[in-house]
Amino acid sequence: MSTPLQTAGYELPVYPFVAPPELAGERIEKAARRYPVVIIGAGLCGLAAACDFASRGIRAVVLDDDDTIGVRGASSRGIVYAQKTLEIMDRLGLYDKLRAKGVTWSVGKTLAGNDVVYEFDASAQSASRQPPFINLQQFYLEWFLVDRITEIGNTDLRWKNKVIGFEQFDDYARIEVETPAGNYALEAAWVMDCSGVNSLVRDTLKLDTHPARGIDRWCISDVRFKAPLPIERWTWVEAPFNDNRAVWQHLMADDVWRLDFQMDPGCDTEYVSRLDVAAERVRRQVGDDVEFELVWVGPYSYRSQLLDEFRVGRTFFLGDSAHVMSPFGARGGNSAIQDADNLCWKLALVLAGEAPASLLDTYHAERRPAAQFNIMTTRRTSRFLSPESPQEKIFRDAAISLAREYPFARHLVNTGRLSTAFAYTDSPLCDGSGGESHDETAGIALARGAVAQNAPITLPDGKPGVLADLFRDAPACVGLWLGPQQTSAADAIRYANQSAPRLRMVELGTVARGSKGQGPGGRRGHSAIADPEGRLAKALGWDGRTSVFVLLRPDMHLAAALPDPTIAAIRRAYARARGQSL
Amino acid sequence: MKTNLNFSDHDAFYEQLLAAHEGLAEADSARLNARLILLLANQVGDQQVLADCIAAARSPFGDAPAGPG
Repeated sequence: MSTPLQTAGYELPVYPFVAPPELAGERIEKAARRYPVVIIGAGLCGLAAACDFASRGIRAVVLDDDDTIGVRGASSRGIVYAQKTLEIMDRLGLYDKLRAKGVTWSVGKTLAGNDVVYEFDASAQSASRQPPFINLQQFYLEWFLVDRITEIGNTDLRWKNKVIGFEQFDDYARIEVETPAGNYALEAAWVMDCSGVNSLVRDTLKLDTHPARGIDRWCISDVRFKAPLPIERWTWVEAPFNDNRAVWQHLMADDVWRLDFQMDPGCDTEYVSRLDVAAERVRRQVGDDVEFELVWVGPYSYRSQLLDEFRVGRTFFLGDSAHVMSPFGARGGNSAIQDADNLCWKLALVLAGEAPASLLDTYHAERRPAAQFNIMTTRRTSRFLSPESPQEKIFRDAAISLAREYPFARHLVNTGRLSTAFAYTDSPLCDGSGGESHDETAGIALARGAVAQNAPITLPDGKPGVLADLFRDAPACVGLWLGPQQTSAADAIRYANQSAPRLRMVELGTVARGSKGQGPGGRRGHSAIADPEGRLAKALGWDGRTSVFVLLRPDMHLAAALPDPTIAAIRRAYARARGQSL
Repeated sequence: MKTNLNFSDHDAFYEQLLAAHEGLAEADSARLNARLILLLANQVGDQQVLADCIAAARSPFGDAPAGPG
């Protein structure tokens, strides 16, 4: 389907321009067609959203001004994909490809001089089938998403369709598009702006992004070489081979290392990113014996942006069009994908008439605090890496010197706190107030609004699977019965079968390990799973004894945990999780 | 934040604090203080208590800038 395009070190696919139906006929249509969802931008965020919709049977239109993935001439963007992203990709059906191509890792080390002053292994805490992290050039993930979208075959992907005009009204938006075959307009009931940091829609609506810029300067060098280095994330706060400034060292696919050098704030960015200067810098790091090849070199500086509202009228802002942060902790790409993960199921329910439109406002209510948290977290890192006053430098030196001696101080050394799924603790969808027998934490350590990891389980058909498999055919929610069968369960299951067919009921605890599961009594919509490794219990923080009903949203965040609930309580929690008024 | 006496031996502490700085250049005194603050803060641990202490220490000099977000 694609012709190779040579870029700096990679061959990227080229997707053909196909005249859209608006321009394909003999006459150009006068009245604009209206579509339920139009996604602007086929980057990580827009493609994740399109793939999510496709998996829910919703045909989205995607408009992208380019005809390939990645940004031409700029291979370096995101490289670290954290567990929640990997779990989402598992649900969307492309995780195996990602794992095969990428570099799986879990150990990170922070060095000052030649000493390791902080070290972590994120795999220790994990109950998920997915590892804590996989490193992969961003364009590969985008590529796999396009392949998966094409495979599902339910998305209107329009390459070389550049948005040049935007206007929105009470119940739709009108988008003007420029293509090689001419211009046209289309209408959208809902628009998802995934167009990145330079958003025409955002600027047309004159929305303030509250931009802030840092003075610190960095220079990325993506370098191809083979060396017996450990597959770990190494960061130097003070690297002897970089004039005691910070350096990142990270492996991604194709034997390409991301080396990221902190520069003097007063440096000439053009000079420091010259290929010969970059090569000399890399040589100082890898030594004289290693042959290497520069794949891409580029300077950047810190910046942040944050919109006040993530939904404006018929338009949602996702990813960089809504929020921009410094790269520390891999929060940009991972949060963009979680934006899509948060909004798509909500929009799908609203489009199907199964939830009120007000559910869509919870996208802002849940994802803006996540963006605020990410920006705060990356600012803390950047301030540690670039002390802004002599006193700040004194505190950093103190933290590093104490870290050489005492375990507590190692945690103060901050070269990036890696992305984890944000817990929607204050979300109106997870609000535990207003019902009898509401003890949201009994028997379950997982906080409401927090994400349940993608634990391996035995599926109702007896085959090994994962928690995400229960969500694969897009139920509105999954209800998990944990612990001994309760007197109320049979009634609740009857309720679900009769009046809530999109609530999938699953039971754990009455089935022998590894036994072939059939729902007890053969009840429809209710089936038995097993937890042979105890990892589902670990993912939920279940004490293994308490009888509790757990309600998981389609994004696998915990909506409610109800010990010994009445049907009324289940009904309320299920309604609340979908934004219905009680 | 405790505001009444909590030291087991306040005069001894004060004397040792001064002694620790004896013979140090100003820059090294600042380094010692920074190390000491971090060590002591970890003994306190509780973030609300630490925040109250930071605010109380800052109070003669006006409010600290609000955090981002």
